[in-house]
Amino acid sequence: MILKKIEVNINGRDYCLDVEENLRLIDLLRDKLKLTGTKEGCGEGECGACTVIMGGKIVNSCLVLAFQADKSRIITIEGIEEDDVIKNSFIEEGAVQCGFCTPGMVLAAKSLLDKNLNPTEEEIREAISGNLCRCTGYNKIVSAVKKAAKLKRGGDGE
Amino acid sequence: MEAIKPKNLEEVLEYKSKYKGDAKIIAGGTDLIIKIRKGEENPKALIDISSLNELKGIRETLEYIEIGPATTFTEICECILLNKNLKGLKDAARSVGSPQIRNRGTVGGNICNASPAADTVPPLLALDSILVIEGKGKKREIYLKDFFKDKGRGELEGDEILTKIKFKNPLKNQGLGFYKLGLRKALAISRLSFAVFLEIDEMNRIEIVRIASGAIGKFPMRELEVEEYLTGRIINENTIEEAETLLERVIFERLKGRQTAKFKSIAAKGVFKKALLNALYLCKGVNDFEKN
Ligand SMILES: Cc1cc2nc3c(=O)[nH]c(=O)nc-3n(C[C@H](O)[C@H](O)[C@H](O)COP(=O)(O)OP(=O)(O)OC[C@H]3O[C@@H](n4cnc5c(N)ncnc54)[C@H](O)[C@@H]3O)c2cc1C
Ligand code: FES
Ligand code: FES
Repeated sequence: MILKKIEVNINGRDYCLDVEENLRLIDLLRDKLKLTGTKEGCGEGECGACTVIMGGKIVNSCLVLAFQADKSRIITIEGIEEDDVIKNSFIEEGAVQCGFCTPGMVLAAKSLLDKNLNPTEEEIREAISGNLCRCTGYNKIVSAVKKAAKLKRGGDGE
Repeated sequence: MEAIKPKNLEEVLEYKSKYKGDAKIIAGGTDLIIKIRKGEENPKALIDISSLNELKGIRETLEYIEIGPATTFTEICECILLNKNLKGLKDAARSVGSPQIRNRGTVGGNICNASPAADTVPPLLALDSILVIEGKGKKREIYLKDFFKDKGRGELEGDEILTKIKFKNPLKNQGLGFYKLGLRKALAISRLSFAVFLEIDEMNRIEIVRIASGAIGKFPMRELEVEEYLTGRIINENTIEEAETLLERVIFERLKGRQTAKFKSIAAKGVFKKALLNALYLCKGVNDFEKN
């Protein structure tokens, strides 16, 4: 197997890596860099558990080859601050049950709120429509995103 | 498998001429990576065009709107050059999969993957789009409607790639409407879609109409018989109903013998009507015929 050299910035840190040419971004993150917060569910672009932010946009890391990510900036769940507003809102609103979908959900929510601090319910549902959750029935996730938006706007989240 | 990330189009064509069909272009990878992992594709080399600026973006020339094949669905949705008369193209791009898929998946991949349910293909067919296809030292143009050869297969030689999609920028009294049945992620059978391009005069006479269907046959295609029926007629409830009936018959005939023939031909009527009314609305700014 031939290796390919790539440069990527992950969570603010520059990496220069040799990767197998058929390696997926998710394998690079989980297996090589031990960033195991990114989850693999379906491996086919359906569930969003593997969501990361690449070049400012959410993508399924199971559908990106590592060599394609050369020269790009990536944010994974590990790149989100410990006391992040979105994370806290998820916990407070009970939007986390088994937690498998949570890293992807939080990144999808971040990507929405980075552009739009005043999303309608419909916009929130659309933004997380590529992320499946088997546990919560989504309503609590939507409330958590609403609350995070409000807190980010400077309200008290209630 | 060799992974290649060329710096420009020239390099892409160079590699393609060297490897021919053994090398596959990878853009968003949302179709290809799944196929490789399932063992349905086994290319010797992958040539990545997903970050090649030369093949990305939307431009306006004197006559045409030109779209780079590596332009993502999200970029189409957000493009201000695509004005309101082209709403059908944006609606189709917006209807694709999920935000994650729209952020990676490209219009060129949608065309070249040649799936019957490729959502941006019906609107591009209704716009009578032209594909620019290049290989090392060669370049040709082909109408999108002549591109598809079979399910999953477009008319590309081993050393060729799609480098541009272009169509005439619609005039004020022209509009492109789109409608897709059912929810996304629903069964493939209910991914049925229609795109209608319409030009009408002040008397509501149809000057130009192009109709394209998705997820009905082996690939998205123009509905020429219905186009012929409608051309030159005054658009009113009566003509719309006649066109719907004709469409139902044409599709039933095409799918005859298949289990889905009845369902699809009936469903197609309603989906077609919505796409037509959407187009009409863009031409006139009002909706005279929507009752239900
Ligand atoms: C979860 C999920 C949901 C989806 N939902 C939808 C949907 O709702 N509607 C829909 O239409 N599609 C959908 N798709 C399919 C897919 O996202 C689209 O077909 C997309 O347009 C493919 O583009 P890509 O850039 O990812 O193609 P790739 O996978 O990179 O390429 C696809 C094929 O086209 C070839 N190719 C790509 N670009 C070129 C070029 N410039 N020249 C020559 N050959 C080229 C490749 O070699 C490959 O054979 C979905 C996919 C997934 C995984
Ligand atoms: S694991 Fe990537 S979308 Fe499901
Ligand atoms: S909390 Fe279990 S899948 Fe969402």
